Amino acid sequence: MAEGEDFAFKNFDTIFRQTLKDLGISRAVKSFNIISKIDEPYFIISLKMGKARSAIHISDMAQVDDSPQGVQITITDEEWAPALLTKLWQVYSKERVKQLTRFEITIHDAKASDVAPMQLDPGEELKTLLLDAIWRVFPEGFKVRYNIVDDEVMTIVGTEHDMEDAWLETARKVHELTRDVEAE
Amino acid sequence: MYEVLMYDGGVYKINELYELIEDVGGFVIQKTKIQVQIVVTMAVPEEEHAVIEEKTAELGGKLSSVPLAGTEIAVVAPTLGRHHMPHPTCDIAEQLRRLGAITVVMGLARGRGRRSSQILADERRLVEEYDAAVFVLGNFKDCIINHKTKLFEELEIPVAVVCGPEVQDLPCEAVVCGVGRKVERMRREEEILKLQEASEAIEKIIHNKRAELDEDPLFIHPAEIKSRLDELEPIKECLRPAPVVLHLDGLRVKIPYEEWKDTIADIEVYGHRLGDVAEISESSLGGSILIKIKTTSEVNDEDRKSSSS
Repeated sequence: MAEGEDFAFKNFDTIFRQTLKDLGISRAVKSFNIISKIDEPYFIISLKMGKARSAIHISDMAQVDDSPQGVQITITDEEWAPALLTKLWQVYSKERVKQLTRFEITIHDAKASDVAPMQLDPGEELKTLLLDAIWRVFPEGFKVRYNIVDDEVMTIVGTEHDMEDAWLETARKVHELTRDVEAE
Repeated sequence: MYEVLMYDGGVYKINELYELIEDVGGFVIQKTKIQVQIVVTMAVPEEEHAVIEEKTAELGGKLSSVPLAGTEIAVVAPTLGRHHMPHPTCDIAEQLRRLGAITVVMGLARGRGRRSSQILADERRLVEEYDAAVFVLGNFKDCIINHKTKLFEELEIPVAVVCGPEVQDLPCEAVVCGVGRKVERMRREEEILKLQEASEAIEKIIHNKRAELDEDPLFIHPAEIKSRLDELEPIKECLRPAPVVLHLDGLRVKIPYEEWKDTIADIEVYGHRLGDVAEISESSLGGSILIKIKTTSEVNDEDRKSSSS
């Protein structure tokens, strides 16, 4: 942070931690850096992601059977239900996927052999939540943004007007720095 | 000078309190009756406080001071995004409401950002209709000092700024530092103290404005006009919350201007038409009328001119 901006430094640290807590993903972030050069101006948030739960086949969290309408799914592990529904909507569209009860889902015109081996990846879900946390904290007016994302680290740099190469270079350095930081 | 008080007690013999308020030259601003309990907000001359307190004790009620009653205050955030809402903007508005003010929370259309933040002419006009405004700003000192002052420096009403970093010499009447951005309700001890500090700053601003008005008093107290307006059919039928809102120097009446301006202007007050002793205009806030009461000296001056001509 720039000189004289101690309050902003402390406040951003607090609100980012609270936001992660609100979204229930505090443990999914190993460490983070918030950097701002207000006289340039740019703002960088870089965070090192923890490991999400490992991927799972639909057949491992639900019973998948063929039925006259298509496929009948009975959920056995409800923890995965939101991810399952999202995945089915993406693949088969909302018109074909009907949730009959809390545990029962029907997919019209589909085969159980196609549905059962599909994988649910919690990593994508986690990235969406982390991005949500970043947008909640990122200064609202800094609309020109650039993302550097890989499997381990997510870095967002933003500014109010034109993005400069030097700031992107700084963001890349911060990205590497965050990767090398030991977990808090 | 009038003091605004709130009586909280039972309805038994409440008429005695109303009569006393009238006898000492005060007004009832608002009555809220809940079964056998009643809350009465009143404006009474400061020197009559003891008499009202005595009557309250006799009736078994509780009397408290609501220093911001009879005022309408705008709490303005740079945007209505989650960066500013609901905390701390709504927390500050709630604190002011507890002290009797009617508050309006407002977000600017283009207030976000640093260099690009701005207030539109329409927004400025709207904010200027209120008795005072509180601008809730963020974390960066440089941003507040060098860029955000343009949002409020040209406003013709008193402004208090609530922000994070320690800043001084802003072009406004009061600055409360140490709040900044919040993502949860201000409920810790130090945060509650900050809210109190903000409300005290507004209280001081309102007190100064009242003292300024007392140097050349209004021709008629807004509460007196309110009691006449409350008898009008459109006000009785109005479903908007608080159809008549008191300002320090006038009122906001939440009925359509074109339809009712003449009826309101024709109300008689102390031998004058209301239209002659007050400026009645359309509010920027749709479907409302603004009444700005002229001072006694202004009315006397106009009377002299018209009698000589």
